[in-house]
Amino acid sequence: MKTRGQSRTVRWVGGVVRKHVQRRVPFQLQPYAIHLVILILLSGVFSWSQSSGPTETQVKAAYLYNFGKFVTWQTDRVVTLDSLEICVLGKDPFGTVLDSTVAGDKIGGKKIIVRRLAKVEEANSCGILFIASPEQKRLGAILTAARHLDVLTVSDMPDFAEQGGMIGLITQGNRIRFEVNLDAAEQSHLALSSELLKVATRVIGKGAPGS
Amino acid sequence: MAIEYRQSISTKLTLMNMLVSGVALLLACAGFFAYDQITFRQGLERTISAQAQIIASNSVSALLFNDPQSASKTLSALGSSPNITSAGILTIDRRPFAQYTRETGDEVVNLPPLQTSEVELCKFGSGHVILVREILSDEKPIGFVYLQADLREIDQRLKRYALIAFSVLMISLLAAMLISSAFRKSVAQPIIRLAETAQSVSRERNYGVRVTPTREHNELAVLIDSFNDMLTQIQQRDNALQKAHDELEERVSERTRELESSNRELEAFSYSVSHDLRAPLDTMNGFSYVLWKNEAERLAETSKEALQNIRGAAKRMSQLIDDLLNLSRVTTSTIRREKIDLSEFARSIMEELFREAPDRKVEFVAPMSTRAFADSRLLRIVMDNLLRNAWKYTSHHDHARIEFGEASKNSQTVFFVKDDGSGFDPRSANRLFQPFQRLHSTAEFPGSGVGLATVRRIVQKHGGEVWAEGVVEKGATFYFTLGSGRNDSSGRTI
Repeated sequence: MKTRGQSRTVRWVGGVVRKHVQRRVPFQLQPYAIHLVILILLSGVFSWSQSSGPTETQVKAAYLYNFGKFVTWQTDRVVTLDSLEICVLGKDPFGTVLDSTVAGDKIGGKKIIVRRLAKVEEANSCGILFIASPEQKRLGAILTAARHLDVLTVSDMPDFAEQGGMIGLITQGNRIRFEVNLDAAEQSHLALSSELLKVATRVIGKGAPGS
Repeated sequence: MAIEYRQSISTKLTLMNMLVSGVALLLACAGFFAYDQITFRQGLERTISAQAQIIASNSVSALLFNDPQSASKTLSALGSSPNITSAGILTIDRRPFAQYTRETGDEVVNLPPLQTSEVELCKFGSGHVILVREILSDEKPIGFVYLQADLREIDQRLKRYALIAFSVLMISLLAAMLISSAFRKSVAQPIIRLAETAQSVSRERNYGVRVTPTREHNELAVLIDSFNDMLTQIQQRDNALQKAHDELEERVSERTRELESSNRELEAFSYSVSHDLRAPLDTMNGFSYVLWKNEAERLAETSKEALQNIRGAAKRMSQLIDDLLNLSRVTTSTIRREKIDLSEFARSIMEELFREAPDRKVEFVAPMSTRAFADSRLLRIVMDNLLRNAWKYTSHHDHARIEFGEASKNSQTVFFVKDDGSGFDPRSANRLFQPFQRLHSTAEFPGSGVGLATVRRIVQKHGGEVWAEGVVEKGATFYFTLGSGRNDSSGRTI
């Protein structure tokens, strides 16, 4: 249909995330390098000049914070609060990273507070609830409890969205991406921005485009 | 010449119209184009800015969640904007995140850096414009979007404008030509008619023509009306002048006729008087001679003296009548010019005079020959009168000198007769040539007082002049010229 000269080319350069384990575990470097080579070949242009990219934990912490920008809470409980609480349930994988990521930042004029929870019942003032991977065995109970709290549930455990979580972080290649379960969000009266859905790798639910 | 006028005035009018409309149009076009350029640039900037804003807000999530593909997809929507040549999204640390180019090679090489506190920057370069905008998420910059649009449309607009301006200019020039040719009728045509009429008036002196008045009421109409009025006045004056001239001519010829007839009568009278006076004089002369011859011895001394006086008076009267006849003849006769030698005339007259009075000691000087072109008989009378005068007025001197000659004055030949006799008072010089006017008594110098009047009349008939210079007891000089002979008065001179 189009000749080569007229064709419009869209090229993109992906930001690259290096796994923080890279330096500590040298034997994992080799398959990772193969991935890189494949990625270079596929994308054409690849920027690998950055020697120190953000770590996986940093990216996940940023994502957790950024999700808050694309979610609208409709429950009075969260809306009336003058701060947005990001709660971490279970064993905290972020350490100080999450605190430093959100320090001083605001979402929609609300201050962001990071809280660590031991039990899901403590999450009644939370806006975003990160469920640590080790909590997978109690996931059903946690999600049931969280559903009534109208809290955005996020986790990096496998198939989180599939199991009724709202946003599940996944690793694709060397990049962190996420899946969205629209039904779950809807049940908790949360409105997820189409902007968010646009960049999700998968959207689960009846209202999902292409589901 | 009239054609020249027509060309020049019409061409000037047309040129003026075309120039005015052309300049106005060009200025208007330039103004419109400048306005269009400004509004186009502003519009372009607004459009690009709006596009950048849309892209910025649509790529927040892509930037936040590190999804270049989504950003590329957002950028690829720019394919519907043909003037966007390239666009891109940069991360906050200015690393390229996603890029869009319409054609290969359209990549932006140098991005103008945004100043701090600046959200958007639009920079016009040669042939393109670059707009950079910060991408904000919750008022925090998280990246940049840039758009590059080419300004080929401006060039196209310029070309279109030039084409439109050119065609409008051509059409308006044509219209200006047509309009000026229409106006030529009302402006140029009356002027041309006026000029042509003025020319014909001055050339042919025909004051009867009139300029056709225009139907309009403007300065031209006033000019034409005034010109026509002027012509009317000139014509009236011309007619009055002609009439006066004719009347004058009529009166002059009438007077001339009257004068001529009275002159003829006078001449006839004087001639007959001279003749009729002669007869009794001759009788007196004859009988007194007889008396003198036969009875002289018997008469007493006093009677003898009385008889002598009678005879002398009769002689003088006879001379006077002769002179009068001469004068009258001079008046009536016509001039027959021929080549004559005045020196010869002078010599023969002097010889005669010497014969009459051989005792006198008079030195006579004259050139060998003095050529003149004049009436021989009349000039002899002139020479005779002048030389006899000189002879007469030197008679009281023991030794006298009489000179005849010619001189040149104002490239004119002047003849003169000079003596060293008793002369005259210069104050009475103009009385000399009046008939019967004498400066000396008859007892001192006998004479009738008609001679110099005769001389003057002859000289005047020749178209010349006569005048005299003199000092008492130092002599007198009589000068005369004879004219060229080309404009001799054939008739009588009064």
